[in-house]
Amino acid sequence: MGIAWFLALSAFIFCIGAGGVITRRNPLVILLCLELMLNAGNLALLSFSRMVGNRDGQVFALIVMVVAACEVVVGLGLIVAMYRRRLPIDVDEVSELRG
Amino acid sequence: MIGAVHSQLGPFHAPHVDWKGMSPLLSVLGGSAAVLIAGLFPGRRTQRVVVPVLAIAALIAAIGLTVWIWEPGGVRPIVAGALSVDTLALGVSVLFYVAGIATILLSLRSAVVRECGAGEYASLLLGSIGGMVLLAGAQNLVTIFIGLELLSIPLYILCGSRVRQEHSLEAGLKYLIVGSVGSATLLYGLALLYGATGSTSLSVIGHAVGTRVPLDDPLVLTGVALAATGLAFKASIAPFHTWTPDVYQGAPTPVTTFMAVATKAAAFAILLRLFDEGLISDRTNWGPALAALAVASIVIGNAGAIGQRSMKRLLAWSGVAQAGYILAGVVVGTRLGIQTSAFYLAIYLPMNVAAFAVVIARMRVSERGDDMAALEGLGRSSPWLAWPMTIAMLALAGFPATAGFIGKFYLIDATVAGGYAWLGVAIVIGSMISLVYYLRVIAVMWMSPSEVEVPAPAPARASPSRRVRSVAGWSPEADVRAQPEVAFVAIACAAATVFFGIVPEPLLHLAREVGSAISSAL
Repeated sequence: MGIAWFLALSAFIFCIGAGGVITRRNPLVILLCLELMLNAGNLALLSFSRMVGNRDGQVFALIVMVVAACEVVVGLGLIVAMYRRRLPIDVDEVSELRG
Repeated sequence: MIGAVHSQLGPFHAPHVDWKGMSPLLSVLGGSAAVLIAGLFPGRRTQRVVVPVLAIAALIAAIGLTVWIWEPGGVRPIVAGALSVDTLALGVSVLFYVAGIATILLSLRSAVVRECGAGEYASLLLGSIGGMVLLAGAQNLVTIFIGLELLSIPLYILCGSRVRQEHSLEAGLKYLIVGSVGSATLLYGLALLYGATGSTSLSVIGHAVGTRVPLDDPLVLTGVALAATGLAFKASIAPFHTWTPDVYQGAPTPVTTFMAVATKAAAFAILLRLFDEGLISDRTNWGPALAALAVASIVIGNAGAIGQRSMKRLLAWSGVAQAGYILAGVVVGTRLGIQTSAFYLAIYLPMNVAAFAVVIARMRVSERGDDMAALEGLGRSSPWLAWPMTIAMLALAGFPATAGFIGKFYLIDATVAGGYAWLGVAIVIGSMISLVYYLRVIAVMWMSPSEVEVPAPAPARASPSRRVRSVAGWSPEADVRAQPEVAFVAIACAAATVFFGIVPEPLLHLAREVGSAISSAL
């Protein structure tokens, strides 16, 4: 199997994630799609790391995982705070600031 | 025992860490931890005095350490090639420290601090500044990503830090989603650059592109495009700016001030480093693309600002347009272009902070919030706030005798000298359009009838009694005296704007030293 397969898969996952962020309306699903985008980057990093034969990409991927976890924590925190305020959990309803 | 381990593992060489070069960053991050602990102690005095004083002390110490290690010249790697201190990193980081001090002063009496806790607020702010310093000195793709996230994540929380206000939470969530899309796009671009060149080091990438790797390698081109997109989200460059007005309006105003000046400076510092240092050999490919983004920002930003009534939204749209002007300096890629970008970032700070400080002062006493109507008759009722706003608006429009004029003049000079004369024309046309909305603010302040407002009973806002001491003895002048630190920030920034408009030479000298950091520039 050549690297092209891995890159194609990672690009595919990235597009699924990007498409999901644009079309889905539930912030939880959007956070999930953001994870997909970041993990597509991780897959690309790991396959390139094997291709070029050094470990920089693997270290990078580890760090990306940590950062992704931090982002999700903040995102979930905000969603919980909104839920407690009885705000609509739907980005289309979150239209107070539209325009 | 240790000897046995040593003989098994063989010699170990720790990476060289230049503690002196890292000292400003350590001061900021140490301050971030210190204020967090200080904020835990009970008592109003700790919250209102000790925490801000500690935070400002950390930032002033960082400025002092920066002056101490300032040395014109090329790259000085400090942590095994991952981070460097050069004049670009140091010069831009001074802007972050100054913006941080201004933000802490502006939020002294703010409701944000009471709602989310003084220690947490200052700690997040300092953490974000630490990320910016890391980003400005990044020499490695991994450092770029970590710096960007360390900058962004505390800002997401700060935007949503007024947990009892819907606007604030929504702004936080919106900024988190859009910012994370930007980070993920940037990450994918960086991964492709790594794949094309086999290294995460900016200098190795810079050498490889054009020699080992062809200039039009599809991996490099896609990687550059995705990285530019990701950074454009952070710098609010059109067409990736759509979050800017909403988030600027929803976030607490001191946080908006910080985002407007510091985040923008950090994003442009890394744009300069990535494009004008790492990828300068590929300039023929990314130059026209970034130039198109610059023109789009100038047009969309100025057009969007015209109809706005909210001051925060107006300043957000004007920020999009100004990002287009600064991007023009990045596009030309010459030493002059880098100098003028750095100069413009430096003068952009006082112009914007002065405007936001006046908006903050009015929002606290006027029931009209950040609407332009809150500024009506300000010229007669409190000229100490009206003059800074007037100067800020004239400077943003690029009026002579203000720093904005000098900045635009040099930007146009750099674009013409760098072979992008049409970009200079776009800047001139954009400035002319921008007069429409900047002058409208001035007209509202000086030409509408003065209307003495009785401070509102402030229906939903927390503890109105703290803001205006006594309703009976209230006069328009009192709103300056009741919040002297806000008036001080506004007047100091306006004074700096005028000073650097008349005597720009000291700042230009510094900008030249900042430009000397990037040796590969044309």
